[in-house]
Amino acid sequence: MADTPVIELRGVGKTYYNGDIATPVLFDMSFEVGRGEFVAIVGGSGSGKTTLLNLMGLLDRPSMGEILVDGRNAGTLDEPGRASVRRDRLGFIFQFHYLLPEFTVIENALMPCRMKGRRFQEEQEPRMRALLEKVGLGEKLDSRPAQLSGGQQQRVAVVRSLANDPALVLADEPTGNLDTRSGRVVFDLMRSLSRESGTTFVMVTHDDNFALEADRLIRIRDGRIE
Amino acid sequence: MKLNFFTLSVALRHLRYGVGQSLLTIGVIAISVLLIIYLRTVIGGTQIRIVDSVTGSIPHIVLEPAERTPIGAWQLPDPTGRTLYIGETVNLPRAQDKIDDWRQWLPALERDPEVTVVSPVVSGNVFMFRGARRESVRMSGVIAERHDRIVNIEEKLVEGRFLQMTTGEVALGATLAAEFGIRMRDKLRLLGPEGRSLSVTVAGIYETGSGALDDGQIFLTLRDGQSLLELGSAVSSVGLRVRDLYQAEAIAESMTTRLPFKIRSWIADNPNVFRTLDAQDQTINMVLISTIIAAGFGIASILVMSVTGKYREIGILKAMGATPGEIQTIFVVEGFLLAVLGCMVGIPVGIGLLEALSTVRVPGPGGRMTELFVIQIDPWLLLGASAVAVTVGVIAAFFPARRAGSVDPMQVIRGS
Repeated sequence: MADTPVIELRGVGKTYYNGDIATPVLFDMSFEVGRGEFVAIVGGSGSGKTTLLNLMGLLDRPSMGEILVDGRNAGTLDEPGRASVRRDRLGFIFQFHYLLPEFTVIENALMPCRMKGRRFQEEQEPRMRALLEKVGLGEKLDSRPAQLSGGQQQRVAVVRSLANDPALVLADEPTGNLDTRSGRVVFDLMRSLSRESGTTFVMVTHDDNFALEADRLIRIRDGRIE
Repeated sequence: MKLNFFTLSVALRHLRYGVGQSLLTIGVIAISVLLIIYLRTVIGGTQIRIVDSVTGSIPHIVLEPAERTPIGAWQLPDPTGRTLYIGETVNLPRAQDKIDDWRQWLPALERDPEVTVVSPVVSGNVFMFRGARRESVRMSGVIAERHDRIVNIEEKLVEGRFLQMTTGEVALGATLAAEFGIRMRDKLRLLGPEGRSLSVTVAGIYETGSGALDDGQIFLTLRDGQSLLELGSAVSSVGLRVRDLYQAEAIAESMTTRLPFKIRSWIADNPNVFRTLDAQDQTINMVLISTIIAAGFGIASILVMSVTGKYREIGILKAMGATPGEIQTIFVVEGFLLAVLGCMVGIPVGIGLLEALSTVRVPGPGGRMTELFVIQIDPWLLLGASAVAVTVGVIAAFFPARRAGSVDPMQVIRGS
């Protein structure tokens, strides 16, 4: 298990169809991400990097090739099966925080645990409280997302992505909507959490400064790895 | 449907957080529940009143002598024992419409669990004389204790008595009394169709509000009636009241096979009443169905708005592993809870409104204050209205819920 890559792509391609018009977006992607790695995917807009992340997050299905999560072929799973992999093994951070306005900061951070039942949520609560305190939100645990700044909201989203103790966190432009300073705080946070918890991160970004600090850089142009 | 901690807690939080939208939906449901309860009860009360005004003072079922088929004189056994010639007059005994053996049938009728009152009646038209004036009136000879349970005259008396009426006494309506200037204790002479006359004393004057009873109708004891019509110990008919007056026709039909009488129910005698009630029912049901459909669309559109406003949250929940079934459940549960809350508001308000309405009194016949509306709140109606509201709430929630369940996380997350 320790040698199994967290995620492995074998000849993955994606073509979108709009009626009879086929638009190929990704071609023959093959790579793997090892346990604890911090990988940055960079590329210009339209290069297909978000599509790649959606495929890795089992939000979309590849037109060809295979994706293995923890060595299991995700292509054979039905929709509930893929939802269950996302729920148990994956964490997500998006450009926008998408926190639920009806819930407090701590409740939002625990949302992935809520899906797994009340017991699990209660078990994870101390760990998430500690994480939120660590990222400087100890005072804000019972605040609503709307009472937080953009940077604070995104920090909650980062903590939330770790709630289910995922094997892999997928981050789509997590700093894209923040000013330079807040972006730096969020990035450093991800980096340090990755180191401490040994969680694997795959981050899509167009910011080369962050990309260069990653363990590994995957550059995409026109749907191909450069 | 996936009822679990996650779906229930998110649904509850949505309701609590979106108080405005929740209250709006609860209001729509409460108003429709209120309308169902209110209209059905008020119309039901009106119908009770209509039926009551028709059946209030008549028997539900009348037993009369079986109809005889006329036969030719030549078919009769010859009363003279010789040949009859054209132009010759023969006096045959006149056959009267009467029931001779009514006492024999009485116990059986009284034993019937559906029958509540059995009242033998002698009735016919007689002349009433008061000084120089003469008037044809309808006379009923009755056993007052029995018949009062059909006509309820005792409680509508203006003066005197009805139940304790004895031989030689008469009770009559206020209109008739006023027309003839009749007062209590006055003496009247009655003349029967066979020429028998009877002198009676006015013992009671009543006002029922029904023209047929108040004008042109008098009551005597059964015995006086029998002697005035020269019926001996026979009666003209037997009136019955039954427990469920809507079953009168069915009961009458079943009696026809068992008893040697011509049996009529009030329903067969008043087909228009039933047709009117039926038309009223259909109209009110149309109104209610339209209300319910409108409420359903109202709830659906509020929930559609709620779902549309939550697209991104739904997207992130699905990305984090919520299944379409779970997302759908969240919104169906919301619809269900809103409907239940709507009932919890609508039903008490409806009952309160109806109770307030039941205290409204207006002057009735005889100047007595009577309720304007007959209000009988049926627990089944409350249950039915709630069932309808909850069903409509769930169905209305189902379509936006399905839409929420099919939200594509990629679309909403990439978009923004």
